[in-house]
Amino acid sequence: MTRLTLKNSLSVLTIISILVFSGLVSIAEEGIDDQTTSIANLLMCPVCQGQSVGESNSNLANDMRDIIRKQLEEGKSQEEILAYFVSSYGESILASPPPKGINWILWLLPGAGIIIGGVIITLFLFRAQKEDGSEDRKEIETIAKSQDEYINKVDEEIKKSDS
Amino acid sequence: MKILGASGKIVVLIIIVGLISLMGYAIFGNRVSIKTSPLIGTQAPDFNLKTFDGQDLKLSDLEGKTVLLNFWASWCMPCKQEAGALERAWQKYKGDDVVFVGVNVWDENSNALKYLSKFGGGYPHALDPDEEIQIDYGVGGVPETFFIDSSGMVRDKFTGPLTEQIIDYFVLKAQKPQENES
Repeated sequence: MTRLTLKNSLSVLTIISILVFSGLVSIAEEGIDDQTTSIANLLMCPVCQGQSVGESNSNLANDMRDIIRKQLEEGKSQEEILAYFVSSYGESILASPPPKGINWILWLLPGAGIIIGGVIITLFLFRAQKEDGSEDRKEIETIAKSQDEYINKVDEEIKKSDS
Repeated sequence: MKILGASGKIVVLIIIVGLISLMGYAIFGNRVSIKTSPLIGTQAPDFNLKTFDGQDLKLSDLEGKTVLLNFWASWCMPCKQEAGALERAWQKYKGDDVVFVGVNVWDENSNALKYLSKFGGGYPHALDPDEEIQIDYGVGGVPETFFIDSSGMVRDKFTGPLTEQIIDYFVLKAQKPQENES
């Protein structure tokens, strides 16, 4: 009875160990798959129109994904893998250019454009409002003046007719 | 209605002139240093290929020789177009320590063998069992050809079908000692 229980316990323990190990392996596999995809999305496919390595189904993109995966399995970091592709294809392989040298313009230009555009639009609206306001005031003053003259004339006529 | 004052107009003018100058620099500036590959001027990535007749072919074994490394595929029309020029050039240079190596990429083995029987020429053609050499060399399409000097440095890359004149130009350039090209 005791021997049977021990045997059963060992079997259960073995099954649990196998399950845990296979679970860990599949978690690691998923991790590498996710990392492969995220690095592939940082690289542009050199033979495709505006597609990343992650999006493209070309032979070259497939080879590149295989190499990313292999290098991840070898323990290389994301930076090392990206540097490898840059050394072969140049910086144009990167989906977003690194912020250095003349590339800074690409990073700063959109923000600068929004700020400058915002300032110009604000100035335009401010001046337009100011000028519209002064024109309206002049018009009101002119109308009021002409109405005053008319009322004065009417008063004079009434006075004349009374007298 | 005035949108900008005199100072505002000057600022906008400076911004426009600055942007045009930057565009001009990006298009025309520093053209001398534009390279067809970042590998030019660096040590060629080593490779360990398997030729179609089963021999091992390592770049490190070819040290002291000028190497023409040509990437091709059987489905590639420009590769067929350049095959004659490659064969004639190989016949011309084979006694001058110039080695021609064809590398078959993105292809079916049976199609590659058929292609070789028709267009292969006399120099070795090989496959990369790991399919990594094309990425190591930054190959984006076929045909692409690299010219490696006797010290193992990549001297030039040519994209597209070769002619004998183009091969002569790059092989002779690779045989000369490197000058400061920057």
